[in-house]
Amino acid sequence: MADEDETKEYRWESGYEKTWEAIKEDDDGLLESNVADLVARAKRKRAALKATGAIQLGMMRHLFVVVDASACMFLQDLKPTRFLCVLKLLEVFVHEFFDLNPISQLGILTTKMKRCEQITVLAGNQKTHIEALQQLKDFSCEGEPSLQNSLERAMNGLKNMPAHSSREILVLFGSLTTCDPGDVQKTIKALKDNNIRVSIIGLAAEVRICREIAKKTGGTYNVLIDDHHLKELILSQVQPPAVAGSIEASLVKMGFPGGTPNVNDGTCDSSADHAPAYCLCHIDSETSSLMGPNGYNCPQCGSRYCELPVECKQCGLTLVSAPHLARSYHHLFPIKPFMERSRVPDTAHCFACAKLFVEAETNVYECENCHQIVCLDCDLFIRETLHTCPGCASDPVTAQMKTN
Amino acid sequence: MKLNVDGLLVYFPYDYIYPEQFSYMLELKRVLDAKGHCLLEMPSGTGKTTTLLSLIVAYMKAHPLDLTKLVYCSRTVPELEKVMEELRKLMNYYEKEMGMEQNILGLALSSRKNLCIHPSVSKEREGKVVDGRCYSLTASFVRARHAADDAVPICEFYEGFDAHGKEFPLPPGVYNLDDLKEYGQTKRWCPYFLARHTITHANIVVYSYHYLLDPKIAEVVSKEISKSSVVVFDEAHNIDNVCIDSMSVKITKRLLDKCSNSITILETTISNMKENDSKRLEKEYKRLVEGLRDATIARETDMALVNPVLPSEILEEAVPGTIRTAEHFVAFLKRVVEYIKTRLRVQHVVQESPAGFLRDIHTKVCIDRKPLRFTAERLASLIRTLEISDLTDFSPLVTVSHFATLVSTYTKGFTIIIEPFEDRAPTVSNPILYFSCLDSSIAIKPVFNRFQTVVITSGTLSPLDMYPKILDFHPVIMTSFTMTLARQCILPMIVSKGNDQVAMSSRYETREDTAVIRNYGNLLVEIAAAVPDGIVCFFTSYLYLETIVSSWYDQGIIDQLQRHKLLFIETQDAAETSLALINYIKACDNGRGAVLLSVARGKVSEGIDFDHHLGRAVLMFGIPYVYTQSRILRARLEYLRDQFQIRENDFLTFDAMRHAAQCLGRCMRGKTDYGIMVLADKRFSRADKRSKLPKWIQEHLKDTNCNLSTEECVQICKRWLRQMAQPFSREDQLGISLLTLEQLQSEEMQKKIQQRAQGV
Repeated sequence: MADEDETKEYRWESGYEKTWEAIKEDDDGLLESNVADLVARAKRKRAALKATGAIQLGMMRHLFVVVDASACMFLQDLKPTRFLCVLKLLEVFVHEFFDLNPISQLGILTTKMKRCEQITVLAGNQKTHIEALQQLKDFSCEGEPSLQNSLERAMNGLKNMPAHSSREILVLFGSLTTCDPGDVQKTIKALKDNNIRVSIIGLAAEVRICREIAKKTGGTYNVLIDDHHLKELILSQVQPPAVAGSIEASLVKMGFPGGTPNVNDGTCDSSADHAPAYCLCHIDSETSSLMGPNGYNCPQCGSRYCELPVECKQCGLTLVSAPHLARSYHHLFPIKPFMERSRVPDTAHCFACAKLFVEAETNVYECENCHQIVCLDCDLFIRETLHTCPGCASDPVTAQMKTN
Repeated sequence: MKLNVDGLLVYFPYDYIYPEQFSYMLELKRVLDAKGHCLLEMPSGTGKTTTLLSLIVAYMKAHPLDLTKLVYCSRTVPELEKVMEELRKLMNYYEKEMGMEQNILGLALSSRKNLCIHPSVSKEREGKVVDGRCYSLTASFVRARHAADDAVPICEFYEGFDAHGKEFPLPPGVYNLDDLKEYGQTKRWCPYFLARHTITHANIVVYSYHYLLDPKIAEVVSKEISKSSVVVFDEAHNIDNVCIDSMSVKITKRLLDKCSNSITILETTISNMKENDSKRLEKEYKRLVEGLRDATIARETDMALVNPVLPSEILEEAVPGTIRTAEHFVAFLKRVVEYIKTRLRVQHVVQESPAGFLRDIHTKVCIDRKPLRFTAERLASLIRTLEISDLTDFSPLVTVSHFATLVSTYTKGFTIIIEPFEDRAPTVSNPILYFSCLDSSIAIKPVFNRFQTVVITSGTLSPLDMYPKILDFHPVIMTSFTMTLARQCILPMIVSKGNDQVAMSSRYETREDTAVIRNYGNLLVEIAAAVPDGIVCFFTSYLYLETIVSSWYDQGIIDQLQRHKLLFIETQDAAETSLALINYIKACDNGRGAVLLSVARGKVSEGIDFDHHLGRAVLMFGIPYVYTQSRILRARLEYLRDQFQIRENDFLTFDAMRHAAQCLGRCMRGKTDYGIMVLADKRFSRADKRSKLPKWIQEHLKDTNCNLSTEECVQICKRWLRQMAQPFSREDQLGISLLTLEQLQSEEMQKKIQQRAQGV
């Protein structure tokens, strides 16, 4: 969101386009306006999907992001190159991902020269991922990608994750070809058996096999139109997906490490707790240094970590803090979908943003509880960011009821 | 859904209908009312078959006296099966809606090869062998011999059919080839003869073109079909070629050598028979004196040899005296064959008219026109008398007899060309005699005359006005329908120059130019990098394909191409091509992507659909003009000019453009499909070429896309592909290109449809 200002690319940077034709196409009423319409409808669909309250969401996600690093990622149809653009957006994605899914884990893979390389392992630490992504910028892109190899690699990583978590793979695929060692259908079947959901974002055109993989494993397949659309597509993956059928509900043992050194509660024996120690997340790397007294100790084995949430390397316990859980909570109680209404002339402005409705907007959205009217953009904003209806919240009666 | 088409209640077996399907029904209804012929062009993938079937069945139900039968002609067995499936769907829908069994009988007919259930005969692969073996088991004399001697093998299925099948007609329903076989298996009746027998009273018959157009077969199979039938030729863009092929004969040296062998066999059989059973030969002689037509009391199984002349032309006279006795006839045949052999011994190309040929044969070997005319009939009669059961060996002789009969019957519309060698190999002597039909209307004329309505339809019939001329008929309606689309799902483009601005063209003068070949190569490489999955390329000829590929190899273009996609090439060998196709499909399916290089007018361009990911782009390298140096073609062009006032160039362009359109249409197989069509030749942008493309392609070919360079073309492709990849569901189509009953009946839509129908 930070680079909102620089999204408008310069005229000379943009692709070869014949603007006079665009106008003509609009006259036909066929092409451009139609596509815009499709995009708006897709937006609406997304909002509707999120709004359906009853579904169970996978709050604990294990996600592998596969980035295509084949020769075609050097193409400049996304600025500055496809690869850099994707990396930049991924940084945003990683940040948002951990913001919304604090108890989830993420790993990054790349594929080039018909092979798959692991960049980061599955971990809940966003710093390492973002650092790794930044280092990737100097990476050279060459050869063909291999979809099968990357899926197999990711599958091996995900296979042993606990059954109650949602296992996902997100592929950012720029190439139109894949060079695979074997029958990809077998891989698809294995993915399905392991309950792994594969979502693919294509950077060039619709590739049949990608659509098939996504469809068969229950993921989504989308192709970008431009970089704004790509951002939208990538960020749409931040929301936890609905649980696919048969994930068993189970009790998960979690540790809540004592945070502040001043408080002496029963979970830790004080002297060892605050003594300087190596942080376990950085102990392997060369830059590891002795940590001060600030840190989190595993309540089970006492290992020290610099950041939460994390899975204890020593004893495998998931370490979280209470606010993390609370933040994941709103996924479970989403607000009800707003009703789509055709605009009546007397509602002149949106309740949320106070924007005046223009003629072109034919549909507005109404909250079932408070009957306030909002525009499409606000509807999306409420659903994706706010997670609470401004109408209901500002009405003292309903707000009271909710807290009760 | 139930539709009201101009006052006719039509049951349509789907919940949704395309607007153009409704317009198509309207037009078809008018034609049926007028009892005339028509030409209808509708893009492939818009449900032509089901539209045709549901309207005609509804019409038959509403006016049972005016229209008794539908004869649906298709090209291949898979297409035939598809029609039967649609028909079955329609009949199921009727049953569901009306709540009772429908009294309609529909069946498919194919050759013995596809219908035989005899345990050993059906194992044979080749159609001719199956026919021959069937004949040897079912011919009347074989069966007579069996009655005398049990050791003579016969076919139990045919016997079963002969004993019981004729009294019990097939119960109403829809029978495709497998159903017929199954029915035959349970009843132990021969499905082939059962189907042939049933044709006379079935309401809907689905079979191949040849059963109507080839006079040799039509006489046997389709003779009894009543006048009040409607005949539909589907995928009929090549109908003139089918007509011409069915009347043309090609005689080579080897064929004549085989003829001599057969004649020797005939001679020995005759002398044997003379010793043992001379009565029979006498009986035949007497029969011939009385007149041939009365003598051949039609025994269906004996009809394996037939007269190549059209039914109306068959002579009512008796066989002339000179060839009545068996020995004389054999001697006569010998003379004919020897004469043709001497004619083949030429050093230069000879072209003459049938009249010239007749005069020459008269002066050289004293053969008159009249006996020559009876050769085919006489040979059939002789073979029957001699009780020769293995017919496969006689096919060369039969070919020659057909030639003799045809050449003496028709003096106009045919030509004889004798070439001592092939143009491509002038040193190898390989003499061939072509007896070539120049006038496609000859074979189809009886069809137009006989049936009240003939519908010629295809996805690519443009330019429509050429067909009435070359087939010599007067259509009541000629219409080209476009495709209503919710999104622009075809992207036709004319690429006229490479990035270096050198014009791209397959013109004879420039086609060997390395710059042109390199530009073609670059175009393909860049398209291959931008387009996912499958790409199909068409070249103008095998020869051109080979030269281009070899220079691409030298220029390193093949290497570049293989970085993006695998490469497959169609060859003249059918087995090799089908193997390439299988692997092409595999490569597209698993995401590797593939390019198929093939040839316009080849197997790939005609019968194979590349729907969805199998054909995301079609590239047409050059204009697929037919090989203009061919003498047969030149003779035909001359004839067309003299007889029908069609200029050579017009016909050549017409022929090239219909093949180009056929190739381009390969990638569009329905409304959810999308594909790029690249026409890579400068000449395509000229008005005379462009205007000959089908309307549904022309409509999307914008002026701005008519003179592109490679780079521009690729840019447009990329943008368009991204737009096409956006989610697209049925809801998006509803109301625009897909209608429910309510939407169809809405006033606005009716108005639109009326306009469409009148506008063309």
